[in-house]
Amino acid sequence: MSQFEALFRPLQINQLTIRNRVVSTAHAEVYATDGGMTTDRYVKYYEEKAKGGCGLCICGGSSVVSIDSPQSWWSSVNLSTDRIIPHFQNLADAVHKHGGKIMIQITHMGRRSRWDGENWPNLLSPSGIREPVHRATCKTIEEEEIWRVIGDFAQAARRAKEGGLDGVELSAVHQHLIDQFWSPRVNRRTDEWGGTFENRMRFGMEVLKAVRQEVGRDFAVGLRICGDEFHPDGLNHDDMKQIAKYYNDTGLLDFFGVVGSGCDTHNTLANVIPNMSFPPEPFLHLAAGIKEVVDVPVIHAQNIKDPNQAERILQEGYVDFVGMTRAHIADPHLIAKIKMNQVDQIRQCVGANYCIDRQYQGLDVLCIQNAATSREHLGLPHIIEKTEGPVRKVLVIGGGPGGMEAARVAAERGHNVTLVEKAGELGGQITLAARAPQRDQIAGITRWYALELDRLGVDLRFNTAADASVVRDFQPDICILATGGIPFMEQNPEWGHDDGLVVSSWDILSGQVEPGKNVLVYDTICEFSGMSAADYLASKGAQVELVTDDIKPGVGIGGTTFPTYYRSLYEHEVIMSSDLILEKVYAEGDKKIAVLENEYTGSREERVVDQVVIENGTRPNEELYYALKSESINKGQIDVEALYACQAQPVLKEADSGMILWRLGDCVSQRNTHAAIYDALRLCKDL
Amino acid sequence: MLPEWLLPALVITALGLFAIGALRRILLWRAGRPEPVSLIAGLMAMPRRYLVDLHHVVARDKVMSNTHVATAGGFVLSMLLIIPVHVFGLDSRWLTIPLLAATVIMFTGAVFVYRRRRNPPARLSKGPWMRLPKSLLTFSVSFFLLTLLASDLLPENFGHWVLTGVLLIGVTLGLAELLFGMGWGGPMKHAFAGALHLAFHRRPERFGGGRSTGLKPVDLDGMLGVAKPSDFKWNQLLGFDACVQCGRCEAVCPAFAAGQPLNPKKLIQDMVVGLAGGSDAHYAGSPYPGRDVGQAQGNPHQPIVDGLVSAETLWSCTTCRACVEECPMMIEHVDAIVDMRRHLTLERGETPNKGAEVLDNLIATDNPGGYEPNSRMNWAADLALPLMADKQEAEVLFWVSDGCFDMRSQRILRAFVKILKAANVDFAVLGNEECDSGDVARRLGDDATFQTLARHNIATLSKYRFTRIVTTDPHAFHVLKNEYGDFGGHYDVMHHSTFINELVEQGRINLDRFKGGTVTYHDPCYLGRYNGEYESPRALLAALGIQVSEMERSGYRSRCCGGGGGAPITDIPGEHRIADMRVDDARKVEAETIAVACQQCTAMLEGVVEPRPEIRDLAELVADGLVVDATPASTATAGPSLAEEVH
Repeated sequence: MSQFEALFRPLQINQLTIRNRVVSTAHAEVYATDGGMTTDRYVKYYEEKAKGGCGLCICGGSSVVSIDSPQSWWSSVNLSTDRIIPHFQNLADAVHKHGGKIMIQITHMGRRSRWDGENWPNLLSPSGIREPVHRATCKTIEEEEIWRVIGDFAQAARRAKEGGLDGVELSAVHQHLIDQFWSPRVNRRTDEWGGTFENRMRFGMEVLKAVRQEVGRDFAVGLRICGDEFHPDGLNHDDMKQIAKYYNDTGLLDFFGVVGSGCDTHNTLANVIPNMSFPPEPFLHLAAGIKEVVDVPVIHAQNIKDPNQAERILQEGYVDFVGMTRAHIADPHLIAKIKMNQVDQIRQCVGANYCIDRQYQGLDVLCIQNAATSREHLGLPHIIEKTEGPVRKVLVIGGGPGGMEAARVAAERGHNVTLVEKAGELGGQITLAARAPQRDQIAGITRWYALELDRLGVDLRFNTAADASVVRDFQPDICILATGGIPFMEQNPEWGHDDGLVVSSWDILSGQVEPGKNVLVYDTICEFSGMSAADYLASKGAQVELVTDDIKPGVGIGGTTFPTYYRSLYEHEVIMSSDLILEKVYAEGDKKIAVLENEYTGSREERVVDQVVIENGTRPNEELYYALKSESINKGQIDVEALYACQAQPVLKEADSGMILWRLGDCVSQRNTHAAIYDALRLCKDL
Repeated sequence: MLPEWLLPALVITALGLFAIGALRRILLWRAGRPEPVSLIAGLMAMPRRYLVDLHHVVARDKVMSNTHVATAGGFVLSMLLIIPVHVFGLDSRWLTIPLLAATVIMFTGAVFVYRRRRNPPARLSKGPWMRLPKSLLTFSVSFFLLTLLASDLLPENFGHWVLTGVLLIGVTLGLAELLFGMGWGGPMKHAFAGALHLAFHRRPERFGGGRSTGLKPVDLDGMLGVAKPSDFKWNQLLGFDACVQCGRCEAVCPAFAAGQPLNPKKLIQDMVVGLAGGSDAHYAGSPYPGRDVGQAQGNPHQPIVDGLVSAETLWSCTTCRACVEECPMMIEHVDAIVDMRRHLTLERGETPNKGAEVLDNLIATDNPGGYEPNSRMNWAADLALPLMADKQEAEVLFWVSDGCFDMRSQRILRAFVKILKAANVDFAVLGNEECDSGDVARRLGDDATFQTLARHNIATLSKYRFTRIVTTDPHAFHVLKNEYGDFGGHYDVMHHSTFINELVEQGRINLDRFKGGTVTYHDPCYLGRYNGEYESPRALLAALGIQVSEMERSGYRSRCCGGGGGAPITDIPGEHRIADMRVDDARKVEAETIAVACQQCTAMLEGVVEPRPEIRDLAELVADGLVVDATPASTATAGPSLAEEVH
């Protein structure tokens, strides 16, 4: 077995020995409750990473130090009050118990926030320039406020230290207040806080000095910076090297975190948390450039997901620590599995960015594929123990995400599991999704399940369409239907689906229907599927117009992913049209005429194309469910109280005399991959 | 009637020829290098060594043991009585009746020898050995009848000279085999050489229930290893000559079973060829797998390798000592092999495959993998282990061993630390001050590197005070316990299985019942055969509520995992892998878990393709079963809390 020598070489940060070179870098969790406190869910989330072997966790991305840097709308950690200290003690104990270390990122976000809530503050910024991503208008900070915020930083650091955390990371990245002062793009001041290099550096320097003064020399203090803002009027890589060296030379810092790219526009934001369309470690060179000029360890995260990749980066000395943050969200036991020689069992992040895209909507961070992450406090397990109860015969119909997770969990519990899939492979809609350009890596979800189901000895029966008689003959104790859905093409009979006038996005992505030359894609859903279909068609050379009745194409896709679709669609000259309802499609010769009606004016326009592709979501495949429902002892019902409480279904305790029937995923109603996996996990974990 | 002098003459001639042959044989042995022995004490001790120690080994096969007692005892007694009765013509019933009885006993034994030879197992050599039962029968029958005829027990003139003549032919044949053959290299040589081998054995500590398994210290300024037969100590040559070719060694040798070119019996016989000169053309046993018989030629002063044996034969050995353990003549095969390896490594620089690299690594980095010497504690970066350098004094010095560099072994080490902490043991480690124990270097023949490492470690250990050393590595355990003494390092060394068992017995840790399926236990060679520890591991498993499903080959007969003696490093190809065969042993008892007590065994057995039983070290099983007192009052005093880990 490979020894991952570089990965497991401990390194000192100030007085701390970090047991390996893997860091869960700071990200906003959106779990802090009770006014920004790190309560049970938060603690358990980090404890799991420590238990799994992570060397260092830096928690609380963008945790605020001041009362006028809002935290409530995205449940960030609030270090502006001593009330946080006992909560930190719980957090520190939980991580230290497992040999891990934990620091917190502290910041004042300046203009990069929302003012319309909580204390309704005037947002602070060096020069009052509006921030576009949050549509945040702001005031110009005054000298008195500057000194107050510097003091707030010091007090926040004190609270972290008194709470037993191992260090603080000052955020000067993502255009927070410190790097707002740095960047001439937004710092237009002419006083001693702006203009010259030293003046622009002053605020951050005063923060650093104040923090160091407060916590003393032995407490770890680091600085997270970007490697290049990627704006012509912003800080470039050479500027960042100069800044890094300037702060490094004070001798007050113990480490640097480096993120490639600034993020105060939608487009640059997408670089910061590179989704699956990016190559591995796209900005490593920027971090390596910073490492050239500093004397303390450099941490770098961004698309480092694979242990071999991490080992290579460390082995070659580009940086000192690799951030594997999303990798830990997907599998907090990543390190343990490396050590157990179970690298194949690591649930690898696929870069779907479900986590971060939720965060940017102010929703709690969740993993598209691992429903146990951040639900440890509810008792959802990352390691599933074998049942001590009866071993059951479990039949799962459907090999999409819900079916695969149900089969996996049931098999981990020790049951005899058979999975029947109509297609010749696992994956369900993931297989379709992976056919789009830049989206192939989503198939990683399926690949992991395929390996796990094989390891667990699940009996997989492909190319088998299950009907009621198949289920009856099988005589399962439990039958789980995860039969998914089919494209909902009949909603408007005028689309002429029955007459073959339109095709579905599935028809296109699956390759069953050849792309036309001049294509109209009508997308009512505005998530991945329609964008993917358009991108796929364009990549095959089609001229595409992507039409939606919603406010903009892809509006349902989160902030780190719609930009990468847009990059591709604009590059392929795809026309994006909003607010148009597809009323009717008719044929004229070998052409199709699409009749579009403006939602707001009612005016109609027509498009002459040779193909109309519709993405209108799915309808559940529920025939089998209704055929079996009456025969099952639970009449197909799931006890939702038990389900939502993550407790065993009461029917499992009843004397077994017949089949239990459940259905989950899109064969109930269309939701998403995470929803199907979550239901499968919480339903099956107590089997 | 035949002349009366004929019989005495025959006996005297036979005795004389035996004496000449014996003298010649002794001279052959004396071609070896000197080794001081105590002549008188050795000879005095010999009968007891034969009757007790040797028969302790032989008695593992009850039928064969009784057969040998009858045959050999009958023969020795017969010979003692033949001389007065037939040479000096003393005619007393007090002599003739015991002589008759002795020949009857010998005859009875010979019948069993005969029966065994009718359908002999593969391990037995054929050739002249097939003749032996007939010779034994002839000798006993002839002397019985002759004695009877010559006695006054029968009516006058009962005998007929023709009968007497036939019997004399029988006597001649019998004497030829049993006396002439004894001196001149026939099968009966074993009785003569064997007796002296017992008297002048190189490891007299083995007798009387003792144990002697550490390699003998090497004078690095002297001759480095054995190049030619005469480079062996004289009593090693004597030991080779004691071989009875019973093939018990062959039957238990893991390398032989794996089809690697090693057969311990053939090796010893080739050494016999070497000491006497000639070829192996007359060898009538199993060959080295994959090699033809008849190619080996040698004499006392001709290099052994590539004359008598190939280097591959020597490098196939795992040093598991199964052959030594089984040998009824108490021959020391492993010593001989390592002696010859030492020559190849130190004089010729011919350690094969990864061997040279491993030795280079040991020289440069103090560990066989070539890892940074200052990274020995990386595995425990989050465990805050107390260092000897800080503490100076501890009850237990935990010898970590090179498992610290291996991720799999680290799990064993971490499990053991968990146990130490749970039991509140006052312990410390050497950290980066520790070096490889030298085990591998020594088995690969590099005594220079071994001594460097040993002296370094001894110097380090001498800086600190501790009651005992405990290690999870049976190889380090063996070397520290049995081989450092020659260089001034005398310690109370304990294997973790023994130590943990003590903790359990003292009630310092409490264990839950093991929740798993069938468990078998694999005895590591360096713990079991080398150090006699068979019981503690089993007691520990019993404490976990495990009833061990013993493999057919367990305890002193445990089959090696294939990982000892640097064998995985020199990596001589065979037809099978030893580890595969060992896992098959476990499969035969339907084990779901193989409990092991050695990280090398763990590595070897886990290298077997799945599906196979799970491999768990005792420390891991115990750590999983630890019942940690959860009362809040104790947490304040319990010191560092136990990390729950998934790894």
